[in-house]
Amino acid sequence: MDMGSYIVKRILLAIPLLFVISLITFVLINLSLLDPAVVVLQAQEVPQITDELIAQTNEALGFDKPFVIQYVNWLIACMQFDFGSSYVSGEPVWSLVGPAFLNTLKLTLVSSVFIIGLSILLGVICAMREGRAVDKSVRGLSFVLTAIPSYWLAAILIWYLSVKLDLLPTSGMDSFKSYILPVIVITVSYTGIYFRTVRSSMLSNMNEDYVLYGRASGLSERKVTLHILRNSLQVAVSIFCMAIPIVLGSTVVIENVFAWPGLGRLSVRSILNRDFPIIQAYVLILAVTFVLFNTISDVINAAMNPRLRKDL
Amino acid sequence: MKKGSAFGLILLLLSVITVLAGCGQEEGTKKESANSEVKSELIYASAKDINDMNPHLYTGSMPAQGMVYESLVENTVDGIKPLLAESWDIAEDGKTYTFYLRQDVKFHDGEPFNAEAVKQNIDAVQANAEKHAWIKLSTKIVSTKVMDEYTFELVLSEPYYPALVELSMTRPYVFISPKDFTNGGTKDGVSGYHGTGPYKLIAHKIDENATFEANEDYWGGAPEIQKITSKVLPAGETTLLALQKGEINFVFTDDRGADSIDVEAMNQLADSGDFQVVRSEAMNTNMIVANSSKMDNPVHETAVREAIWVAIDRETISNDIFNGTQTVADTLFSSNVNYAHVELKKREYNPETAKELLEKAGWTLTNGKAVRTKNGQQLALTLYYDSNSSSQKTQAELIQHALKGLGIQLEIVGEESTSIANRRATGEYDLLFNQTWGLAYDPQSTISAFTSDSAYKHTTSGLTQAEELYKKIDEVMVSTDDASRQLLYADIMRIVHDEAVFIPITNGRVTVVAPKNLDGISFKQTQYELPFEQMNFK
Repeated sequence: MDMGSYIVKRILLAIPLLFVISLITFVLINLSLLDPAVVVLQAQEVPQITDELIAQTNEALGFDKPFVIQYVNWLIACMQFDFGSSYVSGEPVWSLVGPAFLNTLKLTLVSSVFIIGLSILLGVICAMREGRAVDKSVRGLSFVLTAIPSYWLAAILIWYLSVKLDLLPTSGMDSFKSYILPVIVITVSYTGIYFRTVRSSMLSNMNEDYVLYGRASGLSERKVTLHILRNSLQVAVSIFCMAIPIVLGSTVVIENVFAWPGLGRLSVRSILNRDFPIIQAYVLILAVTFVLFNTISDVINAAMNPRLRKDL
Repeated sequence: MKKGSAFGLILLLLSVITVLAGCGQEEGTKKESANSEVKSELIYASAKDINDMNPHLYTGSMPAQGMVYESLVENTVDGIKPLLAESWDIAEDGKTYTFYLRQDVKFHDGEPFNAEAVKQNIDAVQANAEKHAWIKLSTKIVSTKVMDEYTFELVLSEPYYPALVELSMTRPYVFISPKDFTNGGTKDGVSGYHGTGPYKLIAHKIDENATFEANEDYWGGAPEIQKITSKVLPAGETTLLALQKGEINFVFTDDRGADSIDVEAMNQLADSGDFQVVRSEAMNTNMIVANSSKMDNPVHETAVREAIWVAIDRETISNDIFNGTQTVADTLFSSNVNYAHVELKKREYNPETAKELLEKAGWTLTNGKAVRTKNGQQLALTLYYDSNSSSQKTQAELIQHALKGLGIQLEIVGEESTSIANRRATGEYDLLFNQTWGLAYDPQSTISAFTSDSAYKHTTSGLTQAEELYKKIDEVMVSTDDASRQLLYADIMRIVHDEAVFIPITNGRVTVVAPKNLDGISFKQTQYELPFEQMNFK
């Protein structure tokens, strides 16, 4: 199978999955025992909710229609990128979720570059020096750093680098300087996990036969190492691809500490306000991102290893 | 040192951090420069975005709306005073109000403020009257009429004594340029936020910041502070660090009564010499609200509620948690509230009395058990607090400890203010922290909220005298005679006091933390806004 048709098939396979996700999201949210109109009115902080107002709201928002019709209407609108309006502010969901998503994406991508770069670097170093002092110290240190709660590390860094030394802003998203602290904190929390994958995959490859043959046929150590690295990264690619949506979905703590106007904060606030259209959009976006990166990782792997393209 | 090397490295790193931190102690001079950059402007922290600034809906931030929009009249210490209306007449039947408007007022977009604009705005509010059911005036307006360019007439269906007070509130009876209306009104949203107030909204980045600029053409004279920025920052550590760094220079009690930093942090800032802490007079009452309508729960019993009341050491809360900045409250409304001079049963702190009350009500401790029971039911309750409040958690812990000593098991749960409001509306709570609405709204709005589902219906509906209570509340709102109002309010306050459904803790104030050189910090009659236009830098 050539790459083109593989990619097309892979994408087609993702579509039913997205359907199922959208249905589950919609059903779960509608399972709530609360009267949706009351939820909307509370979200709008209307001080006193009367029965007549509830009836008006139900009609205006179509909550009086049967469930299936509500779902189909919502789905059709979604396909046209119309996710409805926020219960709280009445603004289109997209105008709230879009910018927040981009902000979080920026933070995630910058952090991912550092996480992946550092993981490969440290993984390779540790694998090459397995069991030696460098390996042990890096692993020990990463163990400790991964265990440190990120909000604590963040607070310490803000206090020292921003307040005491006055080098960086404490929070917000004003310039490239604003990225430094959150990226450091995210990188520290995830590198410790991912460099281990690189390290162990390097180590298992080192014991493969091809390494022995390579050495036996007189390849230089550098060339052997490059071969090992290339093969090890195949495993790492899929893990790194999934790291991006994982980081994307878990920046909420960092966003809170650094007042980053991102998706995590928006989603938590929406959950507390029961701003369902935004929650639905959030779940969909995360689901799409996971499916997307999963597909990307499969495609990359398939490109690197033609055998994987066969059985689809 | 094979095995020890990792630990060695960590130790080294930790000690380096500690030493570096120590070195940083004498970094006072740099902060000065950061502060001076923002000398002519105020940047305040807010846990929430300013949100939709439509003044005829309820999601917007009240302090922000207070800067941009104005009402016809103003509620002051000395009663109702003119604002956009220079004067007014009330007809003898008490139903017709004629307002004579100021003639020198323009909206921020240059549109004239006149009787026509007033009529359009009030009509826009009335077109969405269901959403304003809490403000009883909205149910009583019959007609609005333009008499001439600057004379406006408002006709009510019956005399309503708090009419002017309700017209003075931050929302909904405030004025936005009719050019901003969509579909001829405001209920479907507005296209701009042009009020008549001392500040204009000039920029807004959702969840980041909002910038307000002085209105040079303000009828009351251009305000001295040129620029005010509201910056969205999570309460607590992040806000404190931003204050210390000089990225923000102002914080104040939010419209939910929560302070974004605790008293200790405030004192630390004041001690630094860069900041001052200013507190208003008692504005409202911080209280614990009990859900009397929860029939199968111990909180339904008056004796249990009364026991909790006398078991709470409010003196300690006032002194130790608030450092004396909030005073002990003995009743739902403090005595400076209108109609609140009522003789009520005094309930002093006394754990022994609490025990007696519980024993008498049949809640007994069997040997070896930590929690009282009655007919097999445990005396266990849940108290919800606002997780954005710097003090409520500490209070909750103190109360939890005190009740444990009496054999009451109290679970404490922190949630966002919206979630607490949801609980209050749906009745999914035993006890929760709340506050009265504040001087301008007390007692009438808070008491009127006793009957409202989304407010205190669940709190009051489980009382045996609920019917009587609601009848008196309906009566007092339309009563035209001050003496009978006095009597009715006294009855209402006595019922809820005797039943102990509103357990008062302290009298809340609005606290402002501001740069040392900021002058003219004062307060309004509500805890929801600040008169920024009166402030200036020395």
